[in-house]
Amino acid sequence: MTQSQTRTDLRKELHSAAVEPLLPIEKKLIGWSLTIGLVLLVGLALFNHFVPVTF
Amino acid sequence: MSDAIVKDFRPQRADGVVAPINEDWLAVVLGLFIFVLALAALANIDLIGWVVTTSVWGNLGQSLKATSKGYASLGGVGALIATYVALTVVLGAAAAALKSDVKRFVLAFTAVFWIAYASWVIGNFANFAAVTPAEQQKFGVSWSLKLTNEGGYIFALIAGLIIANFFPRFADAVKDAVRPELYIKVAIVILGGVFAVTAAGRLGLASSLILRGIAAIVEAYLIYWAVVYYVARKWFGFSREWAAPLASGISICGVSAAIAVGGAIRARPVVPVLVSSLVVIFAVVEVLILPFIAQAFLAHEPLVAGAWMGLAVKTDGAAVAAGGITESLILAKNAAEGINYQPGWILGTAATIKVFIDIFIGIWAFVLGYIWTNHINVTPEKEKANAWEIWQRFPKFIIGFVVTFAVGLYLALGTPAEIAKNVPAAIGEANTFRVIFFILTFFSIGVLSNFKTLWREGFGKLAAVYLVSLFGFVVWVGLLISWIFFSGIRPPLAG
Repeated sequence: MTQSQTRTDLRKELHSAAVEPLLPIEKKLIGWSLTIGLVLLVGLALFNHFVPVTF
Repeated sequence: MSDAIVKDFRPQRADGVVAPINEDWLAVVLGLFIFVLALAALANIDLIGWVVTTSVWGNLGQSLKATSKGYASLGGVGALIATYVALTVVLGAAAAALKSDVKRFVLAFTAVFWIAYASWVIGNFANFAAVTPAEQQKFGVSWSLKLTNEGGYIFALIAGLIIANFFPRFADAVKDAVRPELYIKVAIVILGGVFAVTAAGRLGLASSLILRGIAAIVEAYLIYWAVVYYVARKWFGFSREWAAPLASGISICGVSAAIAVGGAIRARPVVPVLVSSLVVIFAVVEVLILPFIAQAFLAHEPLVAGAWMGLAVKTDGAAVAAGGITESLILAKNAAEGINYQPGWILGTAATIKVFIDIFIGIWAFVLGYIWTNHINVTPEKEKANAWEIWQRFPKFIIGFVVTFAVGLYLALGTPAEIAKNVPAAIGEANTFRVIFFILTFFSIGVLSNFKTLWREGFGKLAAVYLVSLFGFVVWVGLLISWIFFSGIRPPLAG
């Protein structure tokens, strides 16, 4: 397969690939990431507030 | 899904010869080599004082000189030639270790070095770089763009962009020496020692900053990644194979993350490669815009600006370099107002944030690899993700950064006063090499950024996800988090 054929194939693939619905495991991954991330950020922000930077 | 899997982490030639070392370890070796040579100055043996340094100039003849007064007799041009020869020999050996064609590398590097350094020298011309009225008067110029001397990085980047977009055949001819990842990793290893010297004076502040770097990890991996992956899958309809490396490239650390995650989820090698080219192009756009926005709006919150560069600009090279430009611009603006901050803190904050984010690439790639090979594209047992990959994908140059930081800190704080007082000057010589590796990084990033090719190849949809995610979300959330954790913290005043 030539390089230009590969590029054309990739272009077609990107523009006309069938939509893959989000699987439950992907939804879990997104949901858990955001939840843990936001909880940790709030915790760190509180830490930042109560333990100020030392010079 | 995968017809070929990214498994081997060492460079492989077309004829199948595998290099004995990869680029990451090579960066550690090169960075430590320069660092150790610089430390010889502590024993009054000046091994690298001949390295060339550039000052802001009005008269070209006064722009270059050797870093150390002991080598002043070389003159500027002599120091420049010595630097070129030394780098060519050392990097030529590195190319041999990577099983590249050494002759081709040397020829390509010659072009890369001279064009990149010439751009840097032009960027130091007083009309571009002079900041204060006193400087303008000193150099006899009536106006200046006030880009500071580090604006020279922008000139190197633009030179690279011109070559990539108007002289693509030349760009192709020098590609053997266009290695931004190698150059920036060497620079980051050296930067560990430089940051140690800066931090030694304010250890409490430095450790507080490092602690706050944890917030960056949470943000990049847990918040950015999830949102960008959702946007790519749900709004733009990308397949999982494309969405995972794309989300990793946009949210974590550009090229390294896209490649690590692409390998971990067993994507076809072409997927992370294409994502990486997008990452580099957008990083260029960010470097050209964000430091100036930071100077305009965050000059009085210098560490917010530094953290923002580390969080918002993707790829190690562009982020750390953007930190350097931001530092230069913000220090200059403050100096004009009579506030002289100690240099090194803004760049150090950007680099620390980036290093913190990099540390977890291997772990995140393993988590995704585990989910993919066990739940999404269930693979045979022997192809499933295993914990060994965490170490294989760990960016080894971080080890170099930690080593130089620890050694630098020990030398500055744990040695007798007569040794400790010479540490800043010794590491300063290594820092001059760090600047040169930054210049090579900027130029290389430019040469890799052929906007026309990307457009012609029709990957607008990929670019659209990147554009929406980066400028619609990543940049602004990065600013918010930087503000929450770094506002009100000022670098120590100079002197």
